[in-house]
Amino acid sequence: MPVQLHQILSHFVLLITVAYVQATEPVKIDFDNDLQPILTRRGCNQGACHGKARGQGGFQLSLLGFDSDFDHEAITREARGRRIFPGAPKRSLLLLKPTGQVPHGGGIRLKADSSEYEMILQWIRQGVARRVDEAPTLTSFSLTPDSVVLQYEQQQPLKTIAHYDDGSARDVTFLTVFQSNEAPIASVTEYGQITAGSITGSTAIMARFQGRIATCNVIIPRPEAVPAGEYVRLPVNNFIDELVWQRLQQLNITPSRVCEDHVFLRRATTDICGRIPTPLEVQTFLEDPSMDKRRKLVDRLVLEPDFADHWANKWMDLLRPNPYHVGIKTVMSYDRWIRERFHQRMPWDQFVRELITARGGTWRNGAVTLFRDRRSPDEITTLVSQLFVGVRLECCKCHHHPFEKWSQDDFFGFAAYFGRLGRKGSGISAPISGSEEFIFAGKSGSVSHPVTEKIMAPKPLFGEAAVTANTVDPREVLAEWMTSPDNHLFAQVMANRIWADLMGRGLVEPVDDFRATNPATNQPLLDALGEHFRNTGFSLTELIRTITASYAYQLDSLPNDRNVADTRNYSRHYRHRLRAEVLLDAFVDVSGVARSFDAMPPGTKAKQIWTHRTTSLFLDTFGRPDPNQDPPCERTKESAVVQTLHLMNSEQMFRDIRNDEGKAARLAASESDPSELAGTLYRMIYARSPTPEETELVTSVLSEENADRRQSIEDLMWAMINTAEFVFQN
Amino acid sequence: MTLRKNCEGTTRRDCLQFGIGGLFGGSLVNTLRVRGESAGVSAGPKPTAERVILIWMDGGPTHFETFDPKPDAPSEFRGEFGYAKTSIPGVLYSEHMVRLAAGLDDCAMIRSIRHSHGNHGAGNHYMMTGAPTRIPVGCGAFVSFHPSMGSVIAKERGKDNGLPPYFTTPRMSRSGGPNFLGAKYAPFVVPDNPNAEKFKVRDVALPRDLAVNRFDRRTDLRAKIDKLVRLNSEVAGDPVAAFDEYQEQGYSLVTSPDAQQAFDISKESSSMRERYGRNEFGQRCLLARRLVEAGVPFITIYDGGWDSHRNLFGALGKRLPDWDNSVATLIQDLKERGLLDTTLVMAMGEFGRTPRISTLSGTSAPGRDHWANAMSVLMAGGGTPGGTVVGSTDRKGYAALDRVLSPENLISTVYHKMGIDPGQILYTPEGRPVHLVSDPTPISELI
Repeated sequence: MPVQLHQILSHFVLLITVAYVQATEPVKIDFDNDLQPILTRRGCNQGACHGKARGQGGFQLSLLGFDSDFDHEAITREARGRRIFPGAPKRSLLLLKPTGQVPHGGGIRLKADSSEYEMILQWIRQGVARRVDEAPTLTSFSLTPDSVVLQYEQQQPLKTIAHYDDGSARDVTFLTVFQSNEAPIASVTEYGQITAGSITGSTAIMARFQGRIATCNVIIPRPEAVPAGEYVRLPVNNFIDELVWQRLQQLNITPSRVCEDHVFLRRATTDICGRIPTPLEVQTFLEDPSMDKRRKLVDRLVLEPDFADHWANKWMDLLRPNPYHVGIKTVMSYDRWIRERFHQRMPWDQFVRELITARGGTWRNGAVTLFRDRRSPDEITTLVSQLFVGVRLECCKCHHHPFEKWSQDDFFGFAAYFGRLGRKGSGISAPISGSEEFIFAGKSGSVSHPVTEKIMAPKPLFGEAAVTANTVDPREVLAEWMTSPDNHLFAQVMANRIWADLMGRGLVEPVDDFRATNPATNQPLLDALGEHFRNTGFSLTELIRTITASYAYQLDSLPNDRNVADTRNYSRHYRHRLRAEVLLDAFVDVSGVARSFDAMPPGTKAKQIWTHRTTSLFLDTFGRPDPNQDPPCERTKESAVVQTLHLMNSEQMFRDIRNDEGKAARLAASESDPSELAGTLYRMIYARSPTPEETELVTSVLSEENADRRQSIEDLMWAMINTAEFVFQN
Repeated sequence: MTLRKNCEGTTRRDCLQFGIGGLFGGSLVNTLRVRGESAGVSAGPKPTAERVILIWMDGGPTHFETFDPKPDAPSEFRGEFGYAKTSIPGVLYSEHMVRLAAGLDDCAMIRSIRHSHGNHGAGNHYMMTGAPTRIPVGCGAFVSFHPSMGSVIAKERGKDNGLPPYFTTPRMSRSGGPNFLGAKYAPFVVPDNPNAEKFKVRDVALPRDLAVNRFDRRTDLRAKIDKLVRLNSEVAGDPVAAFDEYQEQGYSLVTSPDAQQAFDISKESSSMRERYGRNEFGQRCLLARRLVEAGVPFITIYDGGWDSHRNLFGALGKRLPDWDNSVATLIQDLKERGLLDTTLVMAMGEFGRTPRISTLSGTSAPGRDHWANAMSVLMAGGGTPGGTVVGSTDRKGYAALDRVLSPENLISTVYHKMGIDPGQILYTPEGRPVHLVSDPTPISELI
């Protein structure tokens, strides 16, 4: 009997609508229904206690109680049955330990006068039944309310109901484990009482019972209401704006104003092409009187080669293996494969299909490097499920996911699609691994469950994708499932990544951690973006066009009184530091002195480098991933003192600015007067024209007594490069 | 070069190196990341220490092969090493801890710290901050839910002498970040190897050919040119605020003679350098002593590689003699300089290791696995009564037997010594109250 509940359903209504059975009513105590929830609720089977891999004090339970057979066995049979003492039930270790009557490493977990104690006692008296014959089976678990709007510091009780196959329902609030995703926004007590903080925002409260999860979304709006008319008047460029404004209206916040042209130019150019605009581009764009110049700019940017290198560089972070593991030539060939596909503007579904079904030699088809690097089906599974489906399955390799529905069956069922993968040629012989290896679909091979040792049939995470006797390569079936319309996550995960890159924050964060307990900040928008991405043939450029065309993308970063605290609902643009490669390329554009990189032709841009092993103090300082790590981890986005020090004191940057062939030298040798120089410097470094005061400042610097023109230009350049306006995207 | 592919594998050099990385453990801490204010000025306990050198033994050092040998246990527990007698009759250290054993009169040994977080991510966090992780985390986790000791001490005891108040070398430990205290209290990382011929802390000195007056002119110009509007509200989460903070820090560093002096390890005599041991760890200890002299209140020496799942005896047999020498020299040298009274030196990791020798790693050379029920912590100086042994473990080293103490007790002891009230309440930028340490009881024997 699924309870249909709508937003903010009151607690009282609930009490009448649900068939309510007293928790103490069942005469016969059942292990699954009655005992197991107590063990979970009291923390007995948590990872730090008896739930850990080898148990605690010789007593092991399955983590969070996902395996009742195992637990029943452990309690009633193991240790020669001394945990249960049928002759004198109260003397059972199962009761003496948690009540502290005999020393217990985990402290006192249970009071001797509690109803839980009574329940366990009854169960022992009744003969420790594994399953009581007439015991119903849990069919669903619900949480009410499942969504709530609260004022600052307002409280709201939660109630959880377990539904059983005999139609009965039971209030299990006292046996439910509650947890807030973000306690400062809304905290929750162990009895399910939510207390809102005093911050505008939203979060989710998770409730866990018997391996079932339910969440309650909490919205805490700004206390002062905003007249609805203000939202009606907001411009709507496309569906994105509608959905963003809807969200802002729920929270009583209003967006910042639209950004200026020069801000848009620098923002779009760095976001889409990973470079700063040239002085000429700046001038042309600012002088262009046409209404649709922003759209035309984006249309031009997505066709540039820089676009491909920029986005390939991002994907190399996620896919690129350590050359000391798989071999240098292999990494190069993988890079070429990835880069070519971004240059072709290949639809995303095709990219992923080609990648996960790749076969052939590592030097001829770079895509197979994935399977050279990740050698066992379980290693491939964690990568593929996380990157392309947004589901993190690592936990399920060893035990049921603690917060989610995923089990070891799901993990190894997914892994089974890679069970027939064959390899020929030379494998890994780190640190050189110099030979070629061939990947093919074998005729046999399987993946078995580590506990049951059962051979797993390939099974997708949800939906259907069966491998038949005629299937040549099970990976083809998986690829079909992943990219099919039934798999809404496939489109959403990539759309969320691109959204995060352009908007400064993912709708889901971390961008590849999709789960019920980590809800999107704007689910309707995520749905719409995913659908749009699918409907436009998984075209990255189309998606980027659509997002950048929205009014929301074009908002200023300066907040108003209402949205200053908003950091996740896109009511203003979120500034970010330019990423290492973009910043280095920008510096090269400014200094006019190309950097040379190992094993790369002269004039190579930082974003064209094919391995993070290429030496660059600058890129290391600004947080590119460490090539030694396996798996390589995401890069640092934040600033750090080593970065400001590097900008200030780097010998190399100092030399580049002073280079005789550099921009500063050339500008000094030019005929330009101080005000022209000011214009050039500001357009080149900040992508805008100087204000009259700024022109005056530059003029005064250049006309100081004994001022050396070239030195002054160098100093101005240095000063500008060391400001936030250069280092950040605004 | 071998791949670092063990359960320490996700130590994120980039994040580590840049200090602030651990601040952003995903969405959980994002809202906490703006600066917190301390609740008024609390009087705090009377300080006995002015600075701390933390030797962070990352990976979880074995208590058996360091400070808590079990010579009477069966061989599958005892291991391959013998013992060394300390200066206190009846108290034994492991075979290779010869100098520290002889110097126990200057130190305290705590053998009964325990907690229940036997994975690196959570253990690291607990021991480094005194707070358990709010949600279960895994071995590879790199999380921050609470400010680290170093960040708290930087905030409370930092001086305005141009030197960052919190150093870490060669990298930050996983949970060594400032969390809601803000980027200002993130550690300054010195990644370079002080044992290298041309050791220089890069980018902290002006470029060679840049005259000082020209640097001043540039700095002045930069201030005039910088027109980007700041968001001026901590809740706005403007990343430029951190950049400004770092720029200021960087500027003080470059212009501080004390700082420049402290980094110049070549000023030490070669005999002093020998004494510490001409290896990376030894020279880091020496660098830490120089930083202490320059007035830095918290220095972490990150000392990795204690996650001895395999080949424990082979690896530690080689490593421990040097390690013992460097740490003993550090304590001795501080004492000779009259600094030990006010400098707390401590060596510890995230947990101890399993009593039974293990081949779980699958190699023939055995090791010991993670074990949080008992661990040993070495302390010296800063008002710590010498020759103190606190607590003990059972015959096989399974569990702390008497004086069972928590990480909270340990971290409270450090704060207490530094004159910081461990029971004080901090406020996050959102105004959420947080206990500095939830159980503020220090270890009385060490006060």
